[in-house]
Amino acid sequence: MIRNLSFEVKIQHNLKKCFYYDDGNKLLLSPTSNQVFSWKTAPFSPNAAPNIDSITEGPICSIRFSLDEKLIAVQRSNTSIIFFHRETGETFTHRCKSESESILGFFWTDCPSCDIVVVKTSGLDLYAYDHASKSLALVETKKMTVSWYVYTHESRLVLLASGMQCKTFHGFQLSSVGIIRLPKFEMVMAKPEANSKPVLASEDVYIVTVYGRIYCLQVDRVAMVLHSYRFYRDAIIQQGSLPIYSHKVAVSVVDNVLLVHQVDAKVIILYDIFSDSRAPISAPLPVLFRGFPRSDSFTSRPGTKESESLEASDSNDNEAIIYGEGWTFLVPDLICDVANMRLWKIHLDLEAISASSSEVPSVLEFLQRRKLEANKAKQLCLAITRTMILERRPINMVAKSMDVLVTSYALSLKAGSYFKGIKTERTSSSVPNVSGPGQGVDVNTGRTDGLGKSVQHESASRVNSVSVSRPSNYLSSETEDSSSFEPLKISSNDAQFDSGKVDTGAESSATGNPLNASVSEQQESQLTSPAISPDEMYRFVFAPAEEEMIGEPSYLVSIILEFFRSANLEKVKVHPNLYVLTVQLLARSEQYAELGLCVINKIIEPSKEVALQLLESGRQNFQIRKLGSDMLRQVSLHQDYVLLLVQDGYYLEALRYARKHKVTTIRPSLFLEAAMTSNDSQHLAAVLRFFSDFIPGFHSTSDFSTYYHILNEMNSSSVVA
Amino acid sequence: MLEYSFSKPNSSRSPSLVTEDLRSFISKIYTVYSTNSASFMGLSSIGTASDGMQLCIFDLRRGQHEGQELDKILYFFPADLPFSTQLSVIGLSEGLITFTRIFSPEAACEVIEAERHSHVFYEAEPDIWMVMIVEKSKDSEAIWRIDALREVLKEIHSLFVMFHGSIRALLEREPGGGLTRAHLYPFIMDYLRDFLVGKKLQLPSFRDCLMERRSVQMLTVGREAAIEVQTLVRILESSAGNLPCFSLILFQDLLVSTTLSPEDTINLYKYAVLRLTPLALSSGAKSWSYLRKGNSSSHVSIGSTLLSTGSVSEQFYGSHDASPAGDNRYHVTRPLQHDKWFKGKDGFLITDIWGGDIGSLNVTTPTVWLHQTEERMYLCAYQYKSLTIILLIPLSSILNGDQGVSILKQQLLENASLKILKVEEKLSKGWGGENAYHVSGYRYLLVDGNRDISRASPPTKVTTLSKESLLALNRLREEVDAEKSRAKWDNPGREKDLEVCIRAKNNAWAVARITGGKELYMVLEKANETLLYASDAVEKFSNRYCSGTFSLD
Repeated sequence: MIRNLSFEVKIQHNLKKCFYYDDGNKLLLSPTSNQVFSWKTAPFSPNAAPNIDSITEGPICSIRFSLDEKLIAVQRSNTSIIFFHRETGETFTHRCKSESESILGFFWTDCPSCDIVVVKTSGLDLYAYDHASKSLALVETKKMTVSWYVYTHESRLVLLASGMQCKTFHGFQLSSVGIIRLPKFEMVMAKPEANSKPVLASEDVYIVTVYGRIYCLQVDRVAMVLHSYRFYRDAIIQQGSLPIYSHKVAVSVVDNVLLVHQVDAKVIILYDIFSDSRAPISAPLPVLFRGFPRSDSFTSRPGTKESESLEASDSNDNEAIIYGEGWTFLVPDLICDVANMRLWKIHLDLEAISASSSEVPSVLEFLQRRKLEANKAKQLCLAITRTMILERRPINMVAKSMDVLVTSYALSLKAGSYFKGIKTERTSSSVPNVSGPGQGVDVNTGRTDGLGKSVQHESASRVNSVSVSRPSNYLSSETEDSSSFEPLKISSNDAQFDSGKVDTGAESSATGNPLNASVSEQQESQLTSPAISPDEMYRFVFAPAEEEMIGEPSYLVSIILEFFRSANLEKVKVHPNLYVLTVQLLARSEQYAELGLCVINKIIEPSKEVALQLLESGRQNFQIRKLGSDMLRQVSLHQDYVLLLVQDGYYLEALRYARKHKVTTIRPSLFLEAAMTSNDSQHLAAVLRFFSDFIPGFHSTSDFSTYYHILNEMNSSSVVA
Repeated sequence: MLEYSFSKPNSSRSPSLVTEDLRSFISKIYTVYSTNSASFMGLSSIGTASDGMQLCIFDLRRGQHEGQELDKILYFFPADLPFSTQLSVIGLSEGLITFTRIFSPEAACEVIEAERHSHVFYEAEPDIWMVMIVEKSKDSEAIWRIDALREVLKEIHSLFVMFHGSIRALLEREPGGGLTRAHLYPFIMDYLRDFLVGKKLQLPSFRDCLMERRSVQMLTVGREAAIEVQTLVRILESSAGNLPCFSLILFQDLLVSTTLSPEDTINLYKYAVLRLTPLALSSGAKSWSYLRKGNSSSHVSIGSTLLSTGSVSEQFYGSHDASPAGDNRYHVTRPLQHDKWFKGKDGFLITDIWGGDIGSLNVTTPTVWLHQTEERMYLCAYQYKSLTIILLIPLSSILNGDQGVSILKQQLLENASLKILKVEEKLSKGWGGENAYHVSGYRYLLVDGNRDISRASPPTKVTTLSKESLLALNRLREEVDAEKSRAKWDNPGREKDLEVCIRAKNNAWAVARITGGKELYMVLEKANETLLYASDAVEKFSNRYCSGTFSLD
């Protein structure tokens, strides 16, 4: 369990310590007094150069780009938001109407009816942006008291906290298909003493998207647990709790794996909450830096995957401290190290995770669900399966593993992802900007929430759901399955956290080197699914295992049978080579009875390859040979069957069969020769007669004359005798 | 094959090829008979006395000196015949064997058809012969197919060998022959009891022409169930560790899976159907209370008067010794004893045949001798609903005997019980019931000689056939038997294709088709128009149920 997560770094040197994360566009923003630096984090690359936009000077509570990235919205105070048009530089300001309410924050939305949602202490205001007039038009208002709110673009879900303890929640999902109002619900909080009533803070609530489902995780520091709630369209259901071992925790999601950072203990506990199991995938694992850049030149980072994990100490920069004070956990899988001006992306070290658990089937299950590094997961699965067989683990366990692999393959076939091959990551399409002069509107702001606004139009089916850089096919299918549920989304959204930082570092200008936000993440994973086809099972598991397992092959046969069982259940076709291998193995161990049953009951499906192998293996066993010849006939390989009959000396039967099934491609001389060697003149005559009758012009061939001559000799000699 | 017809014992008609030497030899044979003061006429009278059937086993290598003739007799039924009569029967057989070996050293006499008797010969082991003599009485039911009778002999012998090892080995172990006789006698008696109908032995007659004794009936399963079964087999066999063990799975009375050689499969299958399957167990349950009463019943002689032994030869055949009252010279197990198997609470079948006390559940695990591996194996039988599982584990792989076996049983349950449940459920779901393999309009028998498998119309359906039809088919099968055995000698290793259709007196068609080692016999009572019609019906059947194997080209 040495290494677990590798971080990628991108950093910038002179930037002032003021960052905002716009999760809608996946932009890391760093405003200075009159400029905004923005780095794309979506394809994550350490060397990306920032975009720079000019804005007017003023306080900044929060900042988000519109989803089409044409507008920049800056919350100046708790009463005003100012909008800049990036191309034209036009601005306009939006202000709170009433004195009694203040703006808590805002976010952009791809909801059809509106473009931006402003969260105020009195509720939500939904506005549409009017291109022509460069102003916001109020579409709808949702009235309610709000203490604070949590939003992630990934889930399109906004949770509004209210009440004395801030544990009563209203929720809205504003997705491209419309607005869904979730029922009001209460979160659970343990009381430290009889009379005290703790107040829930926004940094203790996380919206998390996993496998297209949306959960909310709530830290209960008194009980030291993380409560989880799952959101359905019409209900919020508590799902049980995860223990925590640190007073400070944070939550990330990488490739649908839930990571609970136990910050004080500096370890991460991983959960794969695909099924109902609330057990961690593995023991707690530490975080390791990987691919940490040289302090001077920033460029050389070998491919993330290949770079061996560097021990944390290896880095010259000793400022990089794991779980340092300045760490801010950004939406799904980023960590911003404000102190050191670095942005880390969390990677799962699949190898280490799989090595830390001995429960092979569940490890395989876990790996089969990984989409980010599908190829690596696949290779791991193959290696694990192979090893398991070579180590002769109990059949029950291997059987379960086969089930996992085959089921996953069948699923991927259904979803179509297996054949999709490469699916390029969707990069947030930066639409060429049509210049709209941004009207600067003065908005005075109070507090900020560093929430990003989302720009990306993802093809989330129904409810938003697609999380970044994941091919949408898997998820969307998933979404459709989950009737009436919203896909969950997990985002570790430390809204409050961010804002804290904002306060401190507000306003410093970043003149220096922009963060290296980079654009192209390596497309190492050409595959979108780690599913393993039966063909690959044969080539990379069974065939190598067969080569390595010398001696008694009975165990391997058992495993192959388990594979057949799984494949049959999932209606997956098995590669004929695997059947051939099975025949070889059974014949080699002289398990003829079993081989016979397998063929007769079609466990080994008939094919030409199998038939030929049966004939070959049948040299030692007459019954098996018989099965082979029967199979030839069964799969209508008439020519082979006729040839076989002739070879075995059944030339008359062969002729009859050839006549019936119109096999005309076999040379008459074969039959004639067979008849001749049987030394039966009657039979030879019959064969000659057959060809004379059925092949026009046979009389004039050399075959005819040769064998006619031979026949005459036979007859005369027999007369003499 | 040689077939001799003796119309009269003293007939001086001799084969034309007989040389001077031979002639003197034959006269020698007759001398033997006269010394034993038996005659052919005598034979017939014995036949009537024993309800038409005699069965003997003798060893040609024994008792070759005057005064020691009794030595050669290893078994005789009925046992209460005077020795002189027994010896005369055996003497005749011996003479004929010796005589016919002159012409055919490899395969001597197979059958003698005398005027009133048929003598069926079977050389079970080199020089150890089994002969069955059946009476051709006026009783119109007494019409046999010789090969079917010989199958009975074969079955007796191979089952015997499975439990006790070869007769020759027993003889070598105790050259006096007492041990062998003590084993053979109760074994065959137990076996014959299965043929007892009322007080009469009912041997396979023409009415059984649509069945094949030495073959296995299989359950047809779909691919999915078959895979489940095979994976179960794997789990079963892996519970016994790395040593090679074997298994047999039956559903009802049908075989589902085997990993044994064909020969061993037939024997164990037969034993299972006779004594272990749910049906066999339930037929025994009727007399269960009786059995519980006396533990000593294991050696109580069979209740039938017909099969009970006469006092004269009891001593000789050792049956006396086998009974608890006797002096227990030999410890003889009687694996075919009736009503001795029970289903234990854990699902395993138990018996005290091999010793122990069924009440205390402390029983000795049965063992069998495998033909294929020539090794003695523990036999563990487990039953769940209709599923019977037989697992054979080499004695050599279990060090501490019965204790080791019970540990293994536990392992088996742990590993496989879920799977067993699943398999039983799958098979039950796919099971078409007793008449699953009935094809309406047809009465058939399908034999796959390559794999010793047969399938036939259910017996209840066969009984609807008229006697004429059955007789016709019986006759047809005899012809085919003859043809097959001739072909076997003429052209060893080659399969002969054959087709015969005959029309019976009642206008039914009896059809036989042999191709590629597979045989199809059929009676069509309602297809009485033309031969074409009959042949067409066969074709349809073949295409539908035999994947076209018997379709003519």
